[in-house]
Amino acid sequence: MAAMRGGTRWVRTGVLALLASLALLGAEPPYKRTVEAYAVPDVTLVDQDGAKVPLRSLLASDKVVVLDFIFGTCTTICPVLSAGYANLQQRLGPRSADIRLVSISIDPENDTPKVMREYLKRYRARPGWTFLTGKREDIDRAMHAFNAYIPNKMSHYPLTLIRTPRSGAWTRIFGLMSTSEFLEECRKAGIQ
Amino acid sequence: MRALAVALVLAAGLAMSAGSRREAPKRSRAQILALGERMYREGILPSGEPLQGVVKGDVPVSGVAFTCRNCHLRSGMGSYEGGVSTPPITAAKLFQRQFWQFPNLTEAERVEAGVAQSKLRRPAYTDGSLADAIRTGVDPQGRTLNDVMPRYDLSPADMAILVAYLKTLSAEYSPGVTATTIRFATILTPEVTAAEEEALRVPLDNFIASHNRLPQGFGNRMYRSTSGRDMSLSHRQITLARWRLTGPPATWSAQLEAHQRREPVFALLGGMSHGDWKPIHTFCEAHGIPCLFPLTDLPVVSDSDWYTVYFSKGLWQEGEAAARFLAARPEGTAVLQVVEDTPRGRALAAGFDAAWHEAGKAPVRTVQVARDALGPETLLWLAGQGGSRALVLWAGPEAYPALQALAQSSQPPVVVCMASGLLGPRLGELPEAARASTFVTYPFRAPADEPKFARYANSLLVGLTALDNTERIYTRMYSLVEVLKQALMDMDRSYYRDALLDALGMQKDRVLPDYERLSFGPGQRYASKGCYVVQLTPGPQPVLVKRSDWVIH
Repeated sequence: MAAMRGGTRWVRTGVLALLASLALLGAEPPYKRTVEAYAVPDVTLVDQDGAKVPLRSLLASDKVVVLDFIFGTCTTICPVLSAGYANLQQRLGPRSADIRLVSISIDPENDTPKVMREYLKRYRARPGWTFLTGKREDIDRAMHAFNAYIPNKMSHYPLTLIRTPRSGAWTRIFGLMSTSEFLEECRKAGIQ
Repeated sequence: MRALAVALVLAAGLAMSAGSRREAPKRSRAQILALGERMYREGILPSGEPLQGVVKGDVPVSGVAFTCRNCHLRSGMGSYEGGVSTPPITAAKLFQRQFWQFPNLTEAERVEAGVAQSKLRRPAYTDGSLADAIRTGVDPQGRTLNDVMPRYDLSPADMAILVAYLKTLSAEYSPGVTATTIRFATILTPEVTAAEEEALRVPLDNFIASHNRLPQGFGNRMYRSTSGRDMSLSHRQITLARWRLTGPPATWSAQLEAHQRREPVFALLGGMSHGDWKPIHTFCEAHGIPCLFPLTDLPVVSDSDWYTVYFSKGLWQEGEAAARFLAARPEGTAVLQVVEDTPRGRALAAGFDAAWHEAGKAPVRTVQVARDALGPETLLWLAGQGGSRALVLWAGPEAYPALQALAQSSQPPVVVCMASGLLGPRLGELPEAARASTFVTYPFRAPADEPKFARYANSLLVGLTALDNTERIYTRMYSLVEVLKQALMDMDRSYYRDALLDALGMQKDRVLPDYERLSFGPGQRYASKGCYVVQLTPGPQPVLVKRSDWVIH
């Protein structure tokens, strides 16, 4: 009996080691891409300048819209997502006016407009990148609507959603993209 | 440039050889480590420019947004977030061989535990192989590191400084930790009563007693826990000293230093003061000693201080809530702020003013009044000046007669804001005539919702003689214990003060007594971010009715 328990333990250790080695080796599969339809909830959030922003009208834009879920004191995933946003703006240059970048906080209690402004400054965000906070229940509704509900911010995952203005369809990207992959996805959504 | 590199490398005690004739700036070891620390924590090169790196193959990143500390945390203990496991990079880990199994055991312990032959994960880093990994993302085994780890473009000189710093990062256990014991202390300022001390000590002592009994249960069997953690080796007995301060606050720093010299502690737990916590906060910052959840209405409010973690911003947070609430109302255009001239009144006003400014509003008219001078005549006269529609009244129950007179006057303010932190147990005596127009900040869960949460604390109350929880002492010590238990587990065996704070910062949100939610995050130092605005129903036993969300945006 003891040996059996020991055996199970070794199997579990092996599985953990395998998972760890995949992470360490950067051997995770490329990002997962699907096309989805989402109903944006009628909630009003607050941007980095303290202005009230109706989410539905912000996202129902003629521009390509990119949406992610981040928070100001996040350690690992959000910096990569946000560096992707910043570098996309940089690479698009003047054409960055044709794209609307939106980040919704998943730590709305800590992410006040001041915290969000400082965060955007750290990433040298250009105009066209809106960081939103708000009531927890409104944020929860937004996360649910995009099948992105994260009950606890420490267990969030990398997700980028890109809206094609022509069709209103959302491209859902699970995983982290390089800038060339990000640019290619934006091109598919209509950025020339 | 090369000369600079050589001087730095030699000064850092690293073995590298190169030749040069030019004079390089002479830096002491302390200066080099300070520069390395700035690279690690802030992403700034010795030149003052940010580090430059690349993630995901082609995403250039600035060191200011991608510091080492971001993912590896200030102590170097590493993190797990968003599906990415960031390994520890403390001196003890980087420069030692690492194994797949039981990675937290030292080489000697591996022999003792009978796992000395397990498979090598990587050899110990050398200066050269570490520099290669940081620049190219390839480890000494030839494996490629996850591409969210930036590949940093560092000159040899800058690399030498960073490596010198990494060799000191969490290299030795912090003071207060021995092979068998972790010492803590709790600080009590002179005015804290014996009953308050008991309510604070009993839950902590009960936790410590149960923690110290743990090894009786498992002995050495935990060597082979599947997580690789070995509870028996990581277990330390906990002791808790009582540091009772005496005399005026100006003398506390010397008293604390004497305590710390006599019996150095790893961290401070709880503690209590009815006055300003600043002298103790300043001591902790100066000596690098974590202080977890002291009970005070007057914490230091700072964006950048590191060592003290508070339940909330205290009275400051109530002032902030009032400002956010009022800024969204039409009466927010004509506000008079009357402040009792005490540290408590001024803390409320400071929080109000900061949040009012953040809301983009011009400063409000503010009058400071001596605490015993807030009679009906003074308040009526003040309110009559300048046509204010909203009154922010940072005063205690002694202002009730004035508030009543004002409410019954010919031109009462439309809105009055007060703070439960000043009204205390006499909140329920708020004059009936003023209740319809008075809004009170209340930084706790509504009383009607609280009993089921307060019950959580019962397990730690054995031996407590006075079960009055008006001051929320024992319930908050219970919350401290819950958060501390998790942090000690997450630290594993990283008994470094920064690792305790890092582990705390990576905790999930908690729903515990008193506050609707305690939330954490690297560098976040005020766990409760909320404060209700409430009104009182009529009658001798009024009920609190919420008029705002827990967090007001």
